[in-house]
Amino acid sequence: MTRKKVLIVDDDPDILLFLRIDLEAEGFDAVLASDGETALRRIDEEHPDLVLLDVMMPVLDGWAALQAITALPRPPRVIVLSAKSSARDKERGLALGASRYITKPFEVREVVDTIRAVLAESLTP
Amino acid sequence: MAGSTRVARERIEREARVSGLRDFRTPSLESVERRRKELWTALLVLFLVVAAAMVVISALPSLGRGSSLFSPQVLRVSLLVLAIAFGAYAVEKEHHLQRLSRMLVDERVLTAALSNRLKEISALMTAGQAINSVLELGDVLDIILSSALDLLEGHDGSIMLLEDGAELVAVCVQGNEAARGARVPVGEGIAGRVAVTREPLLVSGTPDPKEFPRVVPRAVPVHSSMCVPLINREEILGVLNVNAAADREFTEYDLRALTLFAEHAAISIANARLYEQERTRVSELLEVNQMKSDFVATVSHELRTPLTSILGGVVTLRRLDMAAEHRAGLLDVIERQGNRLLRLIEQLLTAARLEHEGETSFQDRVDVSALVRAVARDFDGSGRPVQFHVPATCFVLGNSDAIQQVLINLLDNAHKYGAPPVRVTLEPGPTHTVLSVLDAGEGVPRHDRERIFEGFTRLDANGHSPGIGLGLSIVRRLVTACGGTVRVEDSPEKGAAFRVFMLSATREVA
Repeated sequence: MTRKKVLIVDDDPDILLFLRIDLEAEGFDAVLASDGETALRRIDEEHPDLVLLDVMMPVLDGWAALQAITALPRPPRVIVLSAKSSARDKERGLALGASRYITKPFEVREVVDTIRAVLAESLTP
Repeated sequence: MAGSTRVARERIEREARVSGLRDFRTPSLESVERRRKELWTALLVLFLVVAAAMVVISALPSLGRGSSLFSPQVLRVSLLVLAIAFGAYAVEKEHHLQRLSRMLVDERVLTAALSNRLKEISALMTAGQAINSVLELGDVLDIILSSALDLLEGHDGSIMLLEDGAELVAVCVQGNEAARGARVPVGEGIAGRVAVTREPLLVSGTPDPKEFPRVVPRAVPVHSSMCVPLINREEILGVLNVNAAADREFTEYDLRALTLFAEHAAISIANARLYEQERTRVSELLEVNQMKSDFVATVSHELRTPLTSILGGVVTLRRLDMAAEHRAGLLDVIERQGNRLLRLIEQLLTAARLEHEGETSFQDRVDVSALVRAVARDFDGSGRPVQFHVPATCFVLGNSDAIQQVLINLLDNAHKYGAPPVRVTLEPGPTHTVLSVLDAGEGVPRHDRERIFEGFTRLDANGHSPGIGLGLSIVRRLVTACGGTVRVEDSPEKGAAFRVFMLSATREVA
């Protein structure tokens, strides 16, 4: 079984660091980006299977990035990771094409399980 | 009973006087009846006298039997007496008829006056309904003025409102645009006079500049105008001016109508003002409420973000298959984010304390140069370089902790919202010392330069940069407590320059 590639997008380098360590330990390949624009470039270069996307970021925010990602010809699955915990934000994320919406602070276990579940869904459409 | 009749008669007489009647006396039914009785009594007496005279004449023996009653002599006398009596009666009747016709004329004039009053009252009611149908002060003033002009067939007019109790300002103008915004000090001009005396004023002919200095200038001179005060609950709000067209002359009657109208108009103006105040208050409260909600959302987000990293770092650290350099990196994450959390909480506590304590005053002697060097070193250590240019020592009045907090907040902001290089300069002066924090970012837009010092304000509405918008409000409060001021301007590098003016400590302070 090939290792799945996950792009982690967050402007907080600390979150990038521990998520990368965790995901690599769980058997994923981790690619990092610290803003929406970089994320789009990395998707183009790396073709990740899944994107973990923060909402509040500089340059190009998560909502705009999410719209751009879902508009791609073969978009990767997206899980939104956000400190915005209101139901409205959640609905907005899902409406824009995200597969799941996880609010910060999250548990690493929860993120890993969600990634596995979303990737399993994409195998059996 | 008699009292109320008298009051009613006095009112009617006043009415008649205003309507232009001279020497008007109320005709009473009793007096007419009395007059009629007097007439009939006089007639009866006359008849009896004539009859008695005829009897006496006929009975007198000296006149002879044959020629007793119908002698030519007697008939002549009787006819004469009768003619005189009829003549007297006719004159009396004529007199009476004349009186009646005069009364009829008076009655007709009075009816006309009353019908004018009715028209006036109905116009007032219509105007009142129109005025009460709107709430905005500007609309209320417009309707008042146009109703007044309609009511009195005025050519142009204005409403002047009292500002700061010293000046009347023409806020609503119709027919004479030159008068818009005109200002008249209380006591001067026609309007100023009315504002002082609070008595309606009818001016016939062009106002005499000697009597009314500083009359509002106008293109065509007015030959008849009225000015009435707008008074609500003993408080003068302003005046209402109405000027006549060239072919019309205002009368005392018009003045009274306008005065009556102004009484109602003043109430509407006062109500519109109340409504305006109330609405401003509501929108202020809504804004405060929104600010509080935003604040809670921002604070919880700001507290959550470091917690996510700390908790995530701890969970990851528990893995047994962890490389040593990863372990060290995660410990750094936890320490850094823990410190960030601590700083946030300290800021919140400082803000709460300053809010609670109100104004405080610091008077210590503080070496700002040393503070700048220490804070810059800490910033360098956390990867945020700060250039500084300060004298060896530089003493100001204030409090060491407060000024250090000011510096940290300003440098934090410069790195968060501005762009490097971030510089600190210190310019000592005889009375004031200026501490500047400069960056090369986009600067602060002119219209936001005051707002950013208010609590919970962040210019970056999308929330891209972290922070709860308390930093600068804390800066301002701390600087104020040190007796200084702070403002933001453009830096020479096009970024923002935050300038803190502090009192120089020239003498030794114990």
